[in-house]
Amino acid sequence: MRKGMLKIVSMAAALAFAFAGVAFSAEAIKVGHLADLTGPTGEVGKPYAQGVQDYKNWVNSHGGINGKQIDMAMFDYAYNKDKAVNQYKKYKEDGVVAIQGWGSGDTEALSAMTGADKIPYISASYSAHLNDTKKTPYNFFCAADYTTALRAGLKYLKENWKEKRAPKVIFIYPNVPYGIAPIKGGKEYAKELGFEVVSDEIVDLKAIEANSQMLSVKNKGADFGWIGGTTNSAAVIIKDAKKLGLKTKFFVNIWGADETTPRLAAGAEEGVLVMAGSPLHGAKVPGMKQLMQIAGSLPQVTHYIRGYTSMMVLTEALKRADKKGKLTGVSVKDALETLKDFDTGGLTPEKITFSPTDHRPHTTVNIMEFQKGKLVLKKSITLPRKAEWLGL
Amino acid sequence: MQYCGDFRTTYEKDAVIFQTPFIKVCMALFFAGLLSLPFLLKGEYMWVALQIVIAAIGAVGLNILTGFTGQISLGQGAFFGVGAYTSAYITVKMGLSFWIGIPAAGLMTAMAGMVFGIPSLRLKGLYLAIATLASQFILEWIFIRWESVTGGSYGMAVPRPSIAGYTFDSDSSFYYIVLAIAAGMILFATNLMRTKTGRAFMAVRDHYISAEIMGISLYKYRLLSFGISSFYAGVAGALYGHSLKFVSSEQFGIGVSIVYLAMIIIGGLGSIIGSIFGAVFMILLPKILSVATEMVSADFPSIAKLAISFEQGIFGLIIVLFLIFEPDGLAHRWKLIKAYWKLYPFSY
Repeated sequence: MRKGMLKIVSMAAALAFAFAGVAFSAEAIKVGHLADLTGPTGEVGKPYAQGVQDYKNWVNSHGGINGKQIDMAMFDYAYNKDKAVNQYKKYKEDGVVAIQGWGSGDTEALSAMTGADKIPYISASYSAHLNDTKKTPYNFFCAADYTTALRAGLKYLKENWKEKRAPKVIFIYPNVPYGIAPIKGGKEYAKELGFEVVSDEIVDLKAIEANSQMLSVKNKGADFGWIGGTTNSAAVIIKDAKKLGLKTKFFVNIWGADETTPRLAAGAEEGVLVMAGSPLHGAKVPGMKQLMQIAGSLPQVTHYIRGYTSMMVLTEALKRADKKGKLTGVSVKDALETLKDFDTGGLTPEKITFSPTDHRPHTTVNIMEFQKGKLVLKKSITLPRKAEWLGL
Repeated sequence: MQYCGDFRTTYEKDAVIFQTPFIKVCMALFFAGLLSLPFLLKGEYMWVALQIVIAAIGAVGLNILTGFTGQISLGQGAFFGVGAYTSAYITVKMGLSFWIGIPAAGLMTAMAGMVFGIPSLRLKGLYLAIATLASQFILEWIFIRWESVTGGSYGMAVPRPSIAGYTFDSDSSFYYIVLAIAAGMILFATNLMRTKTGRAFMAVRDHYISAEIMGISLYKYRLLSFGISSFYAGVAGALYGHSLKFVSSEQFGIGVSIVYLAMIIIGGLGSIIGSIFGAVFMILLPKILSVATEMVSADFPSIAKLAISFEQGIFGLIIVLFLIFEPDGLAHRWKLIKAYWKLYPFSY
């Protein structure tokens, strides 16, 4: 009998909590968050997602969006696009006003639908074509696009080129959209700068060796090599290049090398350049103090910082849209497009600006170099915001 | 199976698809149920239902080739892509209507399938599997590299169909189009298997030397089977592209081919209804698993991560168990269930 009572009481309590939850979430702002924690890109997806969530939690505990809480639960879609689309349909049903997304898999698959459903989608896929508002009006991201990264690398290398002859550059990338996206624009710019472009090499994302490709790079006598893969394949490339005694200097795309590379490449990474989209953990910028407080004592990789800033940008847009009136996907998009020189406290290489016709957040790349197993900032390269580069 | 009191006096009666009034009523109810789905489901579940119907078309297509004609194909995923890209090209780049895009996608893919089916004239079994695997890689390479047609690494945004100003923008309205196409194509497949062509397919499967001795042209029927099967794949792929409103090279990998093979093996090789069961099973299972892991992780957050990691493992385990305990597929189990209830309660 007593047990029965206890059951009823606990059920009533649970019910009360449930209703309290409903009442609570009525005031909350619904935002979606697709992340890869356990899938093939989980290694880098986890810190990025952590950055997004940490900043959200900080906002919620510091007054939220004009007093409203952000209701944003993370969904681990394990880089499975079917799962991502399913979850997106759920988000749409729930009436989210924006989505924090992840890689090219989910971003590309959803780009047409988010555009049609008018839900802003902030991705960690930095493909330049997402900046073209004529094609993907609801896609945003908060780092320089892949092509800009490649162009900045080329510019930096050309500036430091001392010899008389034209430098030879080779493009090494996997045959996937992430790898191919920046190549066309990059090659054009390389020719413009006076590089000699030698024929491409393809190294798969899952490659465990790249000997034949590196031999070919050696035979072609490339001075510089662009690596457009992810951390594992990039480490394979630079290891095999060192083994074969290549003199080629490599510069790697944003997802191709990070703080874990020295562990993977075991010393071969010395002198390799990384096109980073954020400062390093502990850098002397105004926003870093707060980040370090939120993130705790552990040093965070650059991916964490980018996730963190991407949520910071969305938060600002939510605040602006909420002040103006009712929060909807359209109003959040419009608010994002009002961001002009938005200061992230130095956590992005440059201040962020979106406009209704141009979703390039900025055009600055932090060029970093591996020195004795540590990343060191060499130079910030800013490219002009050329109209003809939009979407390419 | 024939039952007591079930007399058929003509060949026509023997070949009727829906044998008894009871079956007809059941089918009518089932179809009414399908039609009312959009009123019952919403959001992600409507989307899953839409994907199941599309997958059923593709699975029936593959079953015609693999289940009925005995030719294994590991290129179904790429053939999907051919259909999706054809329809995307026709609707976006040429500006023609969806209603031209879908049949064109089917025909184009049928042609591609027949080209890549040519090795089947010399190869069988595992060797043919590898030859069709090559088609998967060749086509995938074309998708990503033939930029002027496929949009290359950028992919292509494709519109939903419209009639007289009304656009089938919501999943529930698009579902009706897909359902109508699927119903037509599945009915066609069922009928095909009762014709000379269908019987020739089965003869080729069961013993190709005997079939040839009986005067069945292996050349013709193997290629025809590849063509028909690819037509189905093309239509399914095109519908998939229009449902997602986007076509890109990453959607048609080898994984898709494997999933479709799994569908027909789990559903039942050489059975139309089995292909449908397989499609339902393979699309619904991951969804059910992720809902289950979500529920578990809500109650026990500490094992949440473990549960998500296990999801793939459990998926594999269920498939293995299925193959051990139901090697003839879900279609066989369905037959057993029907037989049980037919004789109930006097199943002596």
